[in-house]
Amino acid sequence: MVVSDYGAHADTILIFQQKISVLQHAPSEHLPSRPGDPTPVSRNLNPIMHPFARSRERIRALNAAKMERMFAKPFVDSLEGHVDAIETLVKKPGDLSTVASGSWDGGLIVHNISQRSQLLNIPQAHKGKVSGLCFASDRLLSCGVDRTVKLWSTDKSEGQKPLSVFAGKSAFNSIDHHRSDGLFATASNLVQIWDETKSSPISDLTFPTSTETITAVRFNLSESSVLASIGSDRTFTLYDIRTGKAERRVIMQMRSNSLAWSPTFPTILLLASEDHNLYTFDIRHVSTPTQIYKSHVSAVMSCDWSPTGTELVSGGWDRTVRIWHEGRGTAPEVYHTKRMQRVSSVLFTNDARFVLSGSDDGNVRIWKAKASEKLGVITARERAAIEYRESLKQRWQMDKQVNKIMRTRQLPKPVYSAAKLKRTMVEAERVKDERRRKHSRAGETKPKAARKKVVVVEQT
Amino acid sequence: MDALLAKADSLSSASKKRRRPTQATSNSASTSDLTYQSLVKQTSLPKSLRPTKTIENVPTHNHIANKKLRNKLARTSTHAAQSKALLEDAELLLTSEAGKMEVEGEMEKTWRVGQSEIVESTGQEAALGRKEWKLDGGPYKSRHTRNGRHLAIIGRDGHAATFDWLTGQLHAELQLQETCRDITFLHDQSHFAVAQRKYVFIYDRDGVELHCLKAHIEPTCLEFLPYHWLLATIGNAGYLKYQDTSTGQLLVEHRTKLGACTTMTQNTHNAVIHLGHQNGCVTLWTPNLPHPAVQLLAHLGPVTSVAVDPSQAGRYMATAGRDSTVKVWDCRNWKGAVREWSARGGSADLDWSQRGFLASASGGTVNVYSTSSIHSASTTKAPPPLYITHPVPHRPLTSVRFTPFQDILTIGHAAGLSSILVPGAGEPNFDSSEADPFENKKTRREREVKALLDKIQPDMIALDPEFVGSLALPSKLVTDTTSTPFARLPRIQRLKVSGKADETEEVESEVEGDHGKKESREEREKRKMRGKGKSLKRYLRKQRKNVIDPTVVAIRAKLEKQKEEKRRAAAGQTENDKPSALDRFKRKS
Repeated sequence: MVVSDYGAHADTILIFQQKISVLQHAPSEHLPSRPGDPTPVSRNLNPIMHPFARSRERIRALNAAKMERMFAKPFVDSLEGHVDAIETLVKKPGDLSTVASGSWDGGLIVHNISQRSQLLNIPQAHKGKVSGLCFASDRLLSCGVDRTVKLWSTDKSEGQKPLSVFAGKSAFNSIDHHRSDGLFATASNLVQIWDETKSSPISDLTFPTSTETITAVRFNLSESSVLASIGSDRTFTLYDIRTGKAERRVIMQMRSNSLAWSPTFPTILLLASEDHNLYTFDIRHVSTPTQIYKSHVSAVMSCDWSPTGTELVSGGWDRTVRIWHEGRGTAPEVYHTKRMQRVSSVLFTNDARFVLSGSDDGNVRIWKAKASEKLGVITARERAAIEYRESLKQRWQMDKQVNKIMRTRQLPKPVYSAAKLKRTMVEAERVKDERRRKHSRAGETKPKAARKKVVVVEQT
Repeated sequence: MDALLAKADSLSSASKKRRRPTQATSNSASTSDLTYQSLVKQTSLPKSLRPTKTIENVPTHNHIANKKLRNKLARTSTHAAQSKALLEDAELLLTSEAGKMEVEGEMEKTWRVGQSEIVESTGQEAALGRKEWKLDGGPYKSRHTRNGRHLAIIGRDGHAATFDWLTGQLHAELQLQETCRDITFLHDQSHFAVAQRKYVFIYDRDGVELHCLKAHIEPTCLEFLPYHWLLATIGNAGYLKYQDTSTGQLLVEHRTKLGACTTMTQNTHNAVIHLGHQNGCVTLWTPNLPHPAVQLLAHLGPVTSVAVDPSQAGRYMATAGRDSTVKVWDCRNWKGAVREWSARGGSADLDWSQRGFLASASGGTVNVYSTSSIHSASTTKAPPPLYITHPVPHRPLTSVRFTPFQDILTIGHAAGLSSILVPGAGEPNFDSSEADPFENKKTRREREVKALLDKIQPDMIALDPEFVGSLALPSKLVTDTTSTPFARLPRIQRLKVSGKADETEEVESEVEGDHGKKESREEREKRKMRGKGKSLKRYLRKQRKNVIDPTVVAIRAKLEKQKEEKRRAAAGQTENDKPSALDRFKRKS
């Protein structure tokens, strides 16, 4: 009897325990088990538990955008050494820190940009300006308006004498080395291909009807026998050294000042034009550019791709350096300083983190490719915070305030007013065009896309 | 050269438009694109990234003309919908279970279970929540921090205390020796504000007086908006004042024009302040509006208590009045109460728990109603089924407050405070990033800094908090010429599209040609020329603007009238129309 009584009692208690339960948090679950351990966190993703989640995220995005602008200190250093304006800059393929610069006084310097030191300094490499430079594995080729191409060793111990000198018939404007073979191309009034071991050019390349001066020449990086040149007749021309002739020539509205092949997409060619724009052409369809990059307010003097092919840098007569995203033709990052004069050459370093600019004031400047990037060691936590801020900005870029902060750049007054004037002129032109169309017979004149206006004629 | 082109062609199609392998076209693309085919064999999305279900009703943003923007928006909304669907999976992370009380059989009722039984049946730890504090100094009010760990109490006669109720650690105890009407914590337990006889005072954790806010005169109620860092007060003068506690600036004061006010609460989901007034009105206020966002005649006497339901994202509001009724309102539709019942024992005090339990203290009892029954609409004035009832012998009962993240209800009354257990009232799973009952000193400091960085501007307070970051509605301006954007249309067309153009002139000319019989072409031309040079018409022609001008409209009306008269004269009706004094003797037929 006694035993069964006990059993019944236990049952009722059991029922009661099932019926009523009161919430209790076990402190052991929410407190660190040992001193020094991190406090355990718990999550509840129910939106009701997170009031104002959107507003707060927007504030965070706004703060992220402000922080980006606050930390935007792109200038790293300037490399001195030249006594006159810098004409050309070139990086050594496969090397992160070696860069050579040539100047109008005929001086030539090889810099080590990580140590900010000079590996080689030749004050009188050429008579007159050094118009072109390129690395040939360990040695350096330079060409000048004194009608010579000189081959230098980058080793200081070799002295100030060139290893060899190649004499040409006219002043050289540009030089580029073949990717793998011992060949290089020079640009004067025609494109000449040279062998490093021979003193005279092995072949001359020119478009049959051409009478122009070739201003720059570049080998394609993938199909290394193809090269492109730009000329003073507002042209760019494609050659193949295997057939030994010019394949195609395109005449544009304005002449180009510089060209660069895309490192990741072999058929894309970038041109820096005198008409304040940059153009990318797919050489399969040269009748229209694939993209126009509009923001400079004066002639673009130089351009270069980042090694990833996702960004490009340009420097112009308006004393600014601009960094563009590939495929986005507006709103580039703008770099300028008070003392930087006309930018004649720009370069992306091989690690895509820095941008170099050589300008008329004789300095080579080192800039960060991302203005607000922190140099030095970044902890994992900091990295996570940076990435979070990045994605916030991405997500809220449509917001008016966030967008304004991200978009606004303080420009020097001359650049700002020139941009304003340019906008006015473009707008006036558009309005005039529209009026003209309105007062001509219907369908007689159609608006022409900006891309279709670029190329005048395509010759083969 | 050709080799280069040939190589490039094998990488992607040479057409100008780059085609991306989307889901819809993947089958057709895969047959032709060799590169894609070779890639697709080797690659696959990780399982966690694959969409689990097909999600419907994702907005497509078809009205947006910009293709890039449209695609981006569509991608964003798809992503949002996917992550919303994935939220269901995240419920696995919720480990704790809510408290509950169930009875077997029809005849058993939960309200029959008393506190002693509940205490008996729960564990030792949970039973700590049932307490009685016997205190002198008048009816007491209490307030918790947002994480539910700390409690501030205030007696009518000026006894204020803050303490950690779980460990029983007292932070500060003050005898203020003047009438105190309300107390509230600021962003966390480190500061609290007291509504004293004349002004609002701010004390720190140890009870040291930091500020005397002399702008807040004779305050009766305090509310702190944690995400905006605003202290809202209302007093006997009926001025609602917002003080920014991060900058110290008195942000704005609104004159309610409804006299002394003793009832205030905040909607925690949109930071709107709800006030209950002496004339039975309930008003909703935001800092950026000088008038109430909503004004509602809720009761036939003074409003004694207002509470907003936090479990439904602030959708429901409960009010109690001196007319001894309790009403539940739907904040999206103010047309009448969802439900109303009369509270026994006169005016009630209300509070809503995190999981939607409504407590009402009236007379000598505290009644708690469960979630489902309160929100359902009912036409009868019967009270919803009771969940728990608890008698308190110390009248009056001045405040009821649920503890966040606990199943505890704290009742303030004349003889102190008592807390009772309400199984299922508290949210079992807290989020450490929002409010953590177990946070340590370092976390508290970090949270304070982060909260200051994330402070939302007071202008952003609105009835609908979701307007931030939502898309603008599609424009109502429809251009017939779809090719030309609105901004590029000439001014007259723009005015026409926006409905502001003065089109009366043209209409008039059309009407003119209409009336009468068909005329020959010469006649028509003659008519058209005649009267064109008349002075008023000439004036009108010159005044023809793109906008409607009142003087021109008046002249036009005058002309119209003249024309009408002329027409009548031609028809011979002039005599008939003119009213005469003898008309009254006329026989009306």
